[in-house]
Amino acid sequence: MNAPPVSTPQVTSPRAWDGAIDAASLALLARRKVRPFAGTRPVIVAVDLYDLVYDGGAKPVTELMADFPASCGEHAWRALPPTVELYAAARASGVPIVHVTYDTRLETDPRGIHPTNRKRRQPDLALYKIKDELAPVAGELVVYKKRASAFFGTPLAAFLNELGADSIFVIGESTSGCARSSVVEAWSLGYPVAVISDCCFDRSELAHKASLFDMHLKYAEVIDVNAAISRMRAMITKRAGQA
Amino acid sequence: MRDFEDYCWRDAVSATELHIYAAYVRERMVGKRPALLIVHPGAGIEIAPAWIAPAAQLLAEARLRGMPVVHSLPPGAAAVAKLEPLAAEPVCARPCESAFFSSDLERTLTTNKAQSLVVCGAPTSGALRASVIESKSYGYKVALAEETVGDESAFLHKMALFDMAHKYGDVMSLAELIEQLDAGKAGILEHPSAEIPQA
Repeated sequence: MNAPPVSTPQVTSPRAWDGAIDAASLALLARRKVRPFAGTRPVIVAVDLYDLVYDGGAKPVTELMADFPASCGEHAWRALPPTVELYAAARASGVPIVHVTYDTRLETDPRGIHPTNRKRRQPDLALYKIKDELAPVAGELVVYKKRASAFFGTPLAAFLNELGADSIFVIGESTSGCARSSVVEAWSLGYPVAVISDCCFDRSELAHKASLFDMHLKYAEVIDVNAAISRMRAMITKRAGQA
Repeated sequence: MRDFEDYCWRDAVSATELHIYAAYVRERMVGKRPALLIVHPGAGIEIAPAWIAPAAQLLAEARLRGMPVVHSLPPGAAAVAKLEPLAAEPVCARPCESAFFSSDLERTLTTNKAQSLVVCGAPTSGALRASVIESKSYGYKVALAEETVGDESAFLHKMALFDMAHKYGDVMSLAELIEQLDAGKAGILEHPSAEIPQA
């Protein structure tokens, strides 16, 4: 609702949510009104890509649950190569990457106060370190958060203003949780948002697909990493042309 | 109270999902000193009206108990018929999805001494869901009755309730939620504006 200018939905196929969404819900795409993804100063916001979610290796989540209850297993590892590729392309094009992880300071995490209602053993706090392959390089910003959205209680909105962002790519996990609530807030702040489907993951494949579809319907353009890299390069080329 | 997973999403998710989400299963309750937040849907969204009568019943029960009632209204939309605000009930305009975003809802809840929320409204997968997640982020315990929320898509409705029930709020039936209010478990009797007799 209240979305500014209407764009014709881009129909590409196959879509990341194929096989999970019923026909009645798919039909709602005909009435989709989402701010078109466009701009010349995109920023990538990478949500919660820390070691904890890769714990135990590229195995089914159900096999890892007992020993690694927070792991996204094979889903996390599947998203790693496209995300490495995205970062290389972004850094080569001068597109800022803002990394988001959990604030592990003990004094910010009093007993009983958590971002979701999950019963959990306190994981090793060192596992909230951003995965080596995706680690911030010198000069890149990191946001430490306590809640689902990367914006809630953090300086992310200010960072985006200071970076001159006019459009946001969102990646990370979980698709249905922190990535999604960050997408809703980026959209609410007025940014055109693109969600890069193969750089997002969840513990549940159904929740992943349902949220990708829902975000595409309401708040963002959901595209794959190849499309994202071409769009990013085209945006930067356009900016150079305007300079 | 029914089994944690015995709600509308039972035919939408598989045993694998239930297994993966098992760590979220817990006791559910209405929090202390709850306010009722009604998330009115935006204009032009086609939502089946089945949620409105149960939401109106919840609204009546909340008023009967002296709970603070707050309405979240998007621009250009009228309040849903049967859920119109009374003169004394605050209306917090919202420009986007979450009832908190760029609105005075948080200060309204504070000045009305709300310490937890019961949320109803529509669409389940849009404004309602965004509002429930931000309620949790603001530190409010959230309870919802599944009959009192509605969406343009039955599938997105079920998936949003499944997700909220596990991560952000306590989902129950309307009867179960009212029973929680009646039992005094919710601490409504402590509310200064409550006019029901002390138990």
